[in-house]
Amino acid sequence: MKVTRRQFLKVTGATAASFALVDLGFNLQATASAVKELRIKNVTPVPTVCPYCASGCGLVVYSERDAEGKFIRLLSVHGDPDNPINQGGACSKGAAMFNLREIYDEHGEQIVNPKRVQKPLYRAPGTDKWLEKDWDWMLDQIAQRVKETRDKSFIHKETIADGSEIIVNRTERIASIGGSGLDNEECYLLSKLMRALGVVYLETQARI
Amino acid sequence: MTNHIVDLKNTDCALIMGSNAAENHPISMRWLLRAREQRNAKIIHVDPRYTRTSARADIYAPLRSGTDIAFLGGMIKYIIDNEKYHKDYVLAYTNASFLVKDEYGFEDGLFSGYDPEKRSYDVSSWDYQYDENGLPIKDPTLQHPRCVFQLLKQHYERYDIDTVCQITGTPKKKYLEVLEAFSATGAPDKTGTIMYAMGITQHTVGSQNVRAFAIVQLLLGNMGRPGGGVNALRGENNVQGATDMALLFHIIPGYIDSPTNGADNKDLLAYIRKATPGAAKLQFNSLEEFRQLVAAGFPNSGFKINTSKWMVSLLKAWWGDAANAENDFAYHYMPKRDANKNYSHIALFEAMHRGEIDGLFVNGTNPVVGGPNANKEQEALSKLKWMVSIDLWLNETADFWTYPAWQRPVENENVPKLAANDIQTEVFFLPAAAVYEKEGTASQTGRWVQYRWQGADPVGESKADLWIYNELGKRIKSLYAGSSKPEDEPITQLAWNYDDEHGHDDIMKVAAELCGFNVADGLPVEGFANLKDDGSTACGCWVYCGAMTYKDGKVIYKPQLRDNKDNSKEGLGLFSNWAWAWPVNRRIVYNRCSISPDGVTPWPGDEKRVLIRWDEAAGSWVGDDVCDTGKTSPPEKAMPFIMRPEGMGCIFATKTSMKDGPFPEHYEPWESPTANTMNKQNLNPATKVWEPDKQGTPDKYPIIATTYRVVEHWQTGALTRNLPWLAELMPDMMVEISEELAREKGIKNGRKVIVSTTRGDIEAVACVTKRFKPFNIHGKQIHEIGLLWHYGFKGFATGDPANRLTPHVGCANTMIPEYKAFLCDVRRA
Amino acid sequence: MANLTNLYDVSKCTACRGCMVACKDWNQLPAVIEPFKGNYDTHGGDTNGDTFTVVRFIEGEDPVDGVFWNFLKYQCMHCFYPACMKVCPQGAYSKTEWGATFHDPEKCIGCQYCTYACPFMIPKYRKREDKISKCTLCVDRVEEGLTPACARTCPTGALKFGDREELLAEAEERVKFLQANGFPRATIYGRVELGGLNKLYVLTDSPDKFGLPVDPKVPGQISFWQNWVQPYFGWLIPVALAGSAVSFVTTRILANKNGDHTEGGHE
Repeated sequence: MKVTRRQFLKVTGATAASFALVDLGFNLQATASAVKELRIKNVTPVPTVCPYCASGCGLVVYSERDAEGKFIRLLSVHGDPDNPINQGGACSKGAAMFNLREIYDEHGEQIVNPKRVQKPLYRAPGTDKWLEKDWDWMLDQIAQRVKETRDKSFIHKETIADGSEIIVNRTERIASIGGSGLDNEECYLLSKLMRALGVVYLETQARI
Repeated sequence: MTNHIVDLKNTDCALIMGSNAAENHPISMRWLLRAREQRNAKIIHVDPRYTRTSARADIYAPLRSGTDIAFLGGMIKYIIDNEKYHKDYVLAYTNASFLVKDEYGFEDGLFSGYDPEKRSYDVSSWDYQYDENGLPIKDPTLQHPRCVFQLLKQHYERYDIDTVCQITGTPKKKYLEVLEAFSATGAPDKTGTIMYAMGITQHTVGSQNVRAFAIVQLLLGNMGRPGGGVNALRGENNVQGATDMALLFHIIPGYIDSPTNGADNKDLLAYIRKATPGAAKLQFNSLEEFRQLVAAGFPNSGFKINTSKWMVSLLKAWWGDAANAENDFAYHYMPKRDANKNYSHIALFEAMHRGEIDGLFVNGTNPVVGGPNANKEQEALSKLKWMVSIDLWLNETADFWTYPAWQRPVENENVPKLAANDIQTEVFFLPAAAVYEKEGTASQTGRWVQYRWQGADPVGESKADLWIYNELGKRIKSLYAGSSKPEDEPITQLAWNYDDEHGHDDIMKVAAELCGFNVADGLPVEGFANLKDDGSTACGCWVYCGAMTYKDGKVIYKPQLRDNKDNSKEGLGLFSNWAWAWPVNRRIVYNRCSISPDGVTPWPGDEKRVLIRWDEAAGSWVGDDVCDTGKTSPPEKAMPFIMRPEGMGCIFATKTSMKDGPFPEHYEPWESPTANTMNKQNLNPATKVWEPDKQGTPDKYPIIATTYRVVEHWQTGALTRNLPWLAELMPDMMVEISEELAREKGIKNGRKVIVSTTRGDIEAVACVTKRFKPFNIHGKQIHEIGLLWHYGFKGFATGDPANRLTPHVGCANTMIPEYKAFLCDVRRA
Repeated sequence: MANLTNLYDVSKCTACRGCMVACKDWNQLPAVIEPFKGNYDTHGGDTNGDTFTVVRFIEGEDPVDGVFWNFLKYQCMHCFYPACMKVCPQGAYSKTEWGATFHDPEKCIGCQYCTYACPFMIPKYRKREDKISKCTLCVDRVEEGLTPACARTCPTGALKFGDREELLAEAEERVKFLQANGFPRATIYGRVELGGLNKLYVLTDSPDKFGLPVDPKVPGQISFWQNWVQPYFGWLIPVALAGSAVSFVTTRILANKNGDHTEGGHE
């Protein structure tokens, strides 16, 4: 692959309506002094697509960032008015996307969703708890398990009905399920990696 | 979807069947309600239960779960008997006029060629009669007794209105209203859409349910036209993409058959001979000879004549320089599955349960809640040596070994109960980033591939799945680095270069390979017509070829395009410059049918819904959409269904298209309260029965159960029960029960009940409702209840998984489980 | 300045409840998770201190039309003549010039008289702050030219926001259309009720089929309260509250009212 990253047209996604605060076509003067300032004012929304049903509604993410552009916290996630599929609409699930990352607790404080797992976890055979591990350790262990299982169970050649040999390069002792929630590029890598390993028990949610 | 979401606004009538669109695809109702407001369109909802979709429908017709073919078979008969079909369309664009072999027949519920031992068909008689040139013989008068149209008419003769209503339980008046409203779209100036989802597919006859839709839509002339189509509302945000990338055992990316260990898959040439329609009859001994035949064109191949180009480009993308003309482009690296074995979800878990699988990757899925016969699938996980779970949360599958995972509402000796120290499975949990904490594309249900930008940082140490797979691939490759064994070559030779100059994974490198590039200069291949089978192009998934383009010195990834002006002159909502749709940015497939056969004259009265037309002067097809036929083929040669060898819409499905018959036939679900009265077979004769001893019978389990979702939750609930705002809206597992059944069983609204099948028992809160009514089936009152399948023991909202009740039996074609109709009993907790 | 209002057309609502969640997202409200009681409406058809808008689910059976399932978005009606504003001893309520009934939590002392006074029982006590809260009509958004969160998120277009006169004209058209297409009892709600509401409804049936009061009234005691007690003795309320005599009464009234409201479902 000889194309460099610089050759890719940089598209940020934020355009026209999702930028501008023009829903009503006019501005009002604040009539009540106690009205809070609009917290998404001057914030550039980032477009994404809803992760639930496959309709493909666009959503925009507003976040608070420091002077260097470092992410601090979410401000709001709602329908993308530019997207022609939903034109700003979002059902209860799409409208709840803020909660995927952050929630308001019972005191009304904004915190990271406590159900999100923040570190890799390991459960040893026969034990009753999770242990926190670092990524390097986890990925190395998984790679080793994959190699052990593959090498022990690998079928390189088979003799078929007509008496001839055929190279089959497969293992039936490793399986992979899921992936319908991943991006295409991720699905592609998963599909390629599993097949390179010889995995044939390869399934996704389309089957169920 | 053959059409797309926004296109729903162009319809004159929507038949929503096996879908609860308002709840599970809410935005679809925006466009349907617009069609009603602007075109006076009718909305029909056919479903066992009155739902939020029914509340917005003009006609609601109940039907018993698992009787869709009876319902639609009656519709086919009504359309033919009352001459509601679109005659010119049927003649020009379908195989109605084709003559079928004399050996084809149907008797006692069995099509010709049945082998009861194998529970499968020899499909050789399900074929056309051919002339001396190998072309199908036709009868344009549609009168020949062996023509498809007459066979269709004969097949559905038994499906009269009274017989149908006895089976489906639909009130006759309602059934007639549906027949009349939808068949009115057979008029040349009208189109009707069919919207379906898992209510149609999750049956032992799931694929044949969809076939019945296809027949109805071909008869009414609704395919390939705005406001028409057979529209699968897919359930996961990128299940379309995951399927395109072939995360399924039977295909490799781009819907190419995955190779098997048969002699006909032995080497690349044998594979191409097998996978390319029509190639088996030709003589060739090398790819070079084959190329010449392809260039000349050969009969009965359709667009799949290009299979060799897709396959070789895929091999080049995967094994790079190691794939060359001398070594069959490394075809032998590709795993060959056992041709006689099924590797689909149910088979996978059956094998796991037998201890035949050691390691499992679980990529954002949750079979302990979502898998059929979940008690068994959960137990199967305990027989693994290791499991890798990649998710945002510790879902029920990641936590299957914990104490709460094995708690059940009642003791049942047939249901396993394990403790953590009994379970030797080693579990690795990798925390994944959420959708807007990373970037990448997703393919929605209308095949639009849209880019998602990163709007927030990943939580804690969580990582994008792309990073995880890239790292894992690198580490596995380094473990094999020193190997010179031939069986390790698929890994040692694997092209795996996705890092940028800083060592970070670069999504654009993945995208470039996936969309295809010229090996010589690395620039994008501009559309799949330019793919080659000589190793000069590499492409990971040919249907995405063209999504990346090179213009003015810049590479553009088209899913990132955000021009939201509708390009269609008549405001059809194609939005062709918004993102990119596969294939080749075509928004409505089969669009050759949007204009009459001469390619110039619009269908009478339907000038505004023409998508493409033949421009004689230019010698090509022009229009608002990308044409779905040979761009320069004149109208008399421009086939409307190019992926089919005969180029026609199939009212009669030939040969290997279907495993269970050329026409859909009504069979009862595996577990049914009644015998089949339409023919002598109760169950689809080609369905594999995995657990005959687990079949519930109506004496013990007299009530039909079905499973479904609500708008407030999604799938197994991992992505919704962990969100407080959604847990608030639908906080507990509930079961919907009619007032009649509640009275019979002494069940009170809001109180807990136990639902049992041969597979297990669950507890749920009763929602006693007028929206479920008992069915009158052959004069007998039959109850049906409905279960949400979103719940498990994790998250802010918890409850028992409904799938502890569902069976391990599936569709004869796809093996999708029969979640939608099984037998149960219900009692107060 | 024209009144800006929501028009909510029940014939287009699919009860997806996107409005409820978008409201929580924008107004930064925590979830209030209670058990399922047998009706999809898990909030008993009523708002609470952290839930400004709810969707009601009302099912029934008509001898001719068969089963129906009515949905109704329910929230502060932003009355032209708000009873809450009349009774508030602290002057925490005000009307914006475009018609929103604005509640200032800084001034609120949590006495809950507004709850009792409201014909729709909308303002609710928020325990975690010891204050009242309710729908703001997203005044912070509207004053910057944005639609309220609920109207913005509505996927089907059942909920709109704009000039009240224009929306009223549109509502009349819709009612005419519905009356001619199978809903003879279709009607507008909010045009004249209580002298005018700054929330307009297009209903497919009479208001009672949606759990709305057919002829809403401000409770009789309120006029006595606002005409006589408040002008002269309003300053006493904080003192009285401290002594808890009034709060005892209030709490009791609330308890009764809540009892009526939380009876969800159908037996």
